[in-house]
Amino acid sequence: MAIEIKTIQHLCELSKLDYDEEGMKKVMGEMSDIIDLMDEIKEFDLTYDDTKDGNEIRFGDTREDVPEESFPTEKLLSNAENTNGCYVVPKVVE
Amino acid sequence: MSAYFPTMGLEIHAELLTKSKVFCTCSAEFGGTPNSRCCPVCSGLPGTLPVLNQKAVEYIIKAGYVMNCDISRFTKWDRKNYFYPDLPKAYQISQMPRPVCLSGTVNINVNGEDKIIRINRIHLEEDAGKLVHDDVNRVSLADYNRCGVPLIEIVTEPDFHSADEVIAFIEKIKLLLQYAGICDCKMEQGSIRCDVNISIAPKGSTELGTRTELKNLNSLKAIARAIEVEIERQEELLENGERVIQQTRRFNEQLGETTAMRSKEDAHDYRYFPDPDIPPIIFTEEELDEIKRSIPELPEQRVARYVDEYGIKKADADIIVGDKRVCDFFDEAISEYDNPKAVANYIIGELMRRINLGEVDMDALKFGGREFAQLVQFMQTDKVSQANAKTVLREMIENGGSPKDIADRDDLWIKEDNDLLAKVVDEIIANNPKPVEQYKNGDQKVFGFFMGQANKALKGAASPKAIQEYIRKKLSE
Amino acid sequence: MELIRTSLRALRKALDDKQISAAELCGEYFKRIEAVDKDLLSYITVTKEKAMKDAENAQKLIDGGKAAALTGIPLAIKDNICVDGVRTTCASKMLENFIPPYNATVIEKLNAQGYVLLGRTSMDEFAMGGSNQTSAFAKTKNPYDLERVPGGSSGGSAAAVAASLAPAALGSDTGGSIRQPSSFCGVTGIKPTYGRVSRYGLVAFASSLDQIGPICNDARDCAVMLNAICGHDRHDATSARVDTPDFTEKLGQPIKGMKIALPKEFYAEGVDDAVKTAVMNAAHELEKQGAVLVDCSMPGLKYAIPAYYLIACAEAASNLSRFDGIKYGFRGEGRTFEELIRDSRSRGFGEEVKRRILLGNYALSSGYYDAYYKKALALKQEIIRQYNQIFEQADVILTPTAPTPAYKIGSQDSDPVKMYQADICTVTVNIAKLPGVSTTCGYTESGLPIGMSIIGKRFDEQTILQVADAFEQGFTPAAPKL
Repeated sequence: MAIEIKTIQHLCELSKLDYDEEGMKKVMGEMSDIIDLMDEIKEFDLTYDDTKDGNEIRFGDTREDVPEESFPTEKLLSNAENTNGCYVVPKVVE
Repeated sequence: MSAYFPTMGLEIHAELLTKSKVFCTCSAEFGGTPNSRCCPVCSGLPGTLPVLNQKAVEYIIKAGYVMNCDISRFTKWDRKNYFYPDLPKAYQISQMPRPVCLSGTVNINVNGEDKIIRINRIHLEEDAGKLVHDDVNRVSLADYNRCGVPLIEIVTEPDFHSADEVIAFIEKIKLLLQYAGICDCKMEQGSIRCDVNISIAPKGSTELGTRTELKNLNSLKAIARAIEVEIERQEELLENGERVIQQTRRFNEQLGETTAMRSKEDAHDYRYFPDPDIPPIIFTEEELDEIKRSIPELPEQRVARYVDEYGIKKADADIIVGDKRVCDFFDEAISEYDNPKAVANYIIGELMRRINLGEVDMDALKFGGREFAQLVQFMQTDKVSQANAKTVLREMIENGGSPKDIADRDDLWIKEDNDLLAKVVDEIIANNPKPVEQYKNGDQKVFGFFMGQANKALKGAASPKAIQEYIRKKLSE
Repeated sequence: MELIRTSLRALRKALDDKQISAAELCGEYFKRIEAVDKDLLSYITVTKEKAMKDAENAQKLIDGGKAAALTGIPLAIKDNICVDGVRTTCASKMLENFIPPYNATVIEKLNAQGYVLLGRTSMDEFAMGGSNQTSAFAKTKNPYDLERVPGGSSGGSAAAVAASLAPAALGSDTGGSIRQPSSFCGVTGIKPTYGRVSRYGLVAFASSLDQIGPICNDARDCAVMLNAICGHDRHDATSARVDTPDFTEKLGQPIKGMKIALPKEFYAEGVDDAVKTAVMNAAHELEKQGAVLVDCSMPGLKYAIPAYYLIACAEAASNLSRFDGIKYGFRGEGRTFEELIRDSRSRGFGEEVKRRILLGNYALSSGYYDAYYKKALALKQEIIRQYNQIFEQADVILTPTAPTPAYKIGSQDSDPVKMYQADICTVTVNIAKLPGVSTTCGYTESGLPIGMSIIGKRFDEQTILQVADAFEQGFTPAAPKL
């Protein structure tokens, strides 16, 4: 099943990814094939019960509320464009 | 009279008073220089993982209990995905299908009428950071100190039909959260925030109209005003044959109007899914019971206790309980001096009067309930006159200190100087034959005149009781 | 000192007996790396300076008689595990200059023993792939045939160990990323039970599936490495609160009477005959040692690929959202936040990573969630149930590690669907959170290694290492000629 262009565009929007025209054509073809592969799962008809995953922990196993020293600001920002101890973000348009 | 009636539901966010953040060990305290209360976890460095704070879970369970909610025995966390520079992981850890608390109720009283507001759910999530906009350089500066501070979101059913009901509810929630010890509810610091979903429908209609969501409401005053303005706006639209569009609107307090936020907001697809880094939690009945038992006395119980055990008037008890700081102050005071009525009267009559006049702020009080109680006791036991008590209180407000020290220093004690009393009263009686005559003819009212004259002249040298007795004795001679 | 396929135990002895110093030992490895890796491309970063300091410190411990199992042992670390102060790229342009300011828990644990860091090994970008050909910096080759892929995503770690450019390495495994390259490169790699090893500091691909594990010359070394890195970690809520045994304990114990299940779906169409034959021969070898072979079935395998990719990509789409060019990583251009983030991501991520992000968001997006993501979770529960059923009648499960031996570069790594399908033998182990070890069970006519996987019950790494070792003791591996 070929995936519709507007579906891909929506996914690009959600993913914050852009493609040029050629790239878009290529990825559409690939995504169509991939989704065909994923569609095989639709035959399978069992329902999911989230309480049966068996990965829960007990309340008592959560972390105690004890604050510890924070990280040096400078070190934290060492991989970022920063000024006055803050991350620099281009203006957010509303 | 409007042909429409409004319906509203609330989403209240309250920051929890935990010491550390909800998913890391950074301090959750308000303030700090930018990015000083951050670590690799809360600033979203690759490879880091969230570890849930037990206290935050305990607090939301308490919140659930004080709002009469069902507490889920199985609860889990989800990721709400969206890109925004105040959200370093590009998802907020929240709860979708299995919140900690479901379906509760809260009683409110509006203009003397009782009403029940239904709670849809309460869930636990993390707060986002702060952006400071630098218009000159066209950039924003991101500070993640608030990232990861635990929040509860209280979602009500659409049970409100007036701004008064909304305000009464928020005030009630603030009290409940403060008394339960889980949020300080300082609206001005953003530790409690409220969004209002609002729609109008023709009177008699059983269907709800299209709703808008009001954001950026920073005070109770703003909330009341925003509701009023938005109802008017929606009415005008419908009157003109237009439709209300479902959207998020921001209230501009200066202009007194609501404006639509970017429409993209409404197109969000948050792609909630269970956070694989945080295992679901199960509670035992014992754990829940223990948390329930640890909830401190709530406002309604306190009012009842003050009325039943201390004999305080309901209206006075409501006033004291209506501000947790005052209430804690009162409790401390009566632990020092066990005369609740006298303490209550002096708190309401003197302390709160001064607070309302703006002379002092409850948060900046330079003395505690104990010192205050000592002063009340001095007054009640004729150690300090009422007039001098006011002087002492003023000094305590301005400079702090114990009432005993102040009275010592400024010589404000009643001295029980009987010689002076006799001398002063004898003089007054001698100089005022006319009122003496009146009194002897049965005019009791002039007694007050003698008391006033004596008080003025004695300046606390004798207790009111002693003065009264002596005057009565002399007049009946 | 002879480095070719030298075990960690032998190195330990040489260091303790002062036949060689820690500094000399890592120097030897650096010499080999210099000579061989320009063709092999297994490392992205070689950390010579740091290694010399590490070695100096380690030597003090050794001289003071305080050596632990890995003191002074040089190791290679996959480039998605954070090391404080050492560039960690995930083989992505996105993190080309990223220097983590903190250590992963496994690194803290290795540091505590006084290990020596040789360098950071290449991988598929963000661990997404099975060929190492999606690496933005070093498209690693197979040491047995430089025209073939080393497997992936821990292809750099596997190739480095196979070519004796490191005596052991850490990798990570989300859907086979330790086991499949171990199989392609003829070494032994174990994916521990989910929760056995802390994930803190491992740059996440799919959080519910990711697990760090060692790649070594044999199962015995894997046990030594596992002893060093496992255990509950307060920084990882998904790390298990279980006792940590000595993983070397069961090594050498006879496997007589042990029940080994062979689920028929793993030996079906699509698996090369050479692979089937080699794995079956190994099974009979184990049978000769007294093990009992048990036939069984796992019908859920049919849906395993879509289930795995839906879950893994959904989590990946969310995990990789934090790469926006603001806090770290490649910062693109743009006048607004929106423009900057789109440019950073579009240029910072490679094609496979982007496809998986798109697929993940597809599976999670409104209108598709129930049909894809939730269905995949249902299938996960079913696969766990089917594994439990098999383990009611068997101690371990034996399967091929990959349907084929290492293939030619460019032959299928450009077709995503083909690539995804090649993961069929490994993904269910991650889905079911089980431990699995891959060891070499034979060679093709042209000399390419073939791997088999032994899958165990949750937290029973001891038994699968025991079985792998039992086989290895009667098997002579052939080192690549490099």
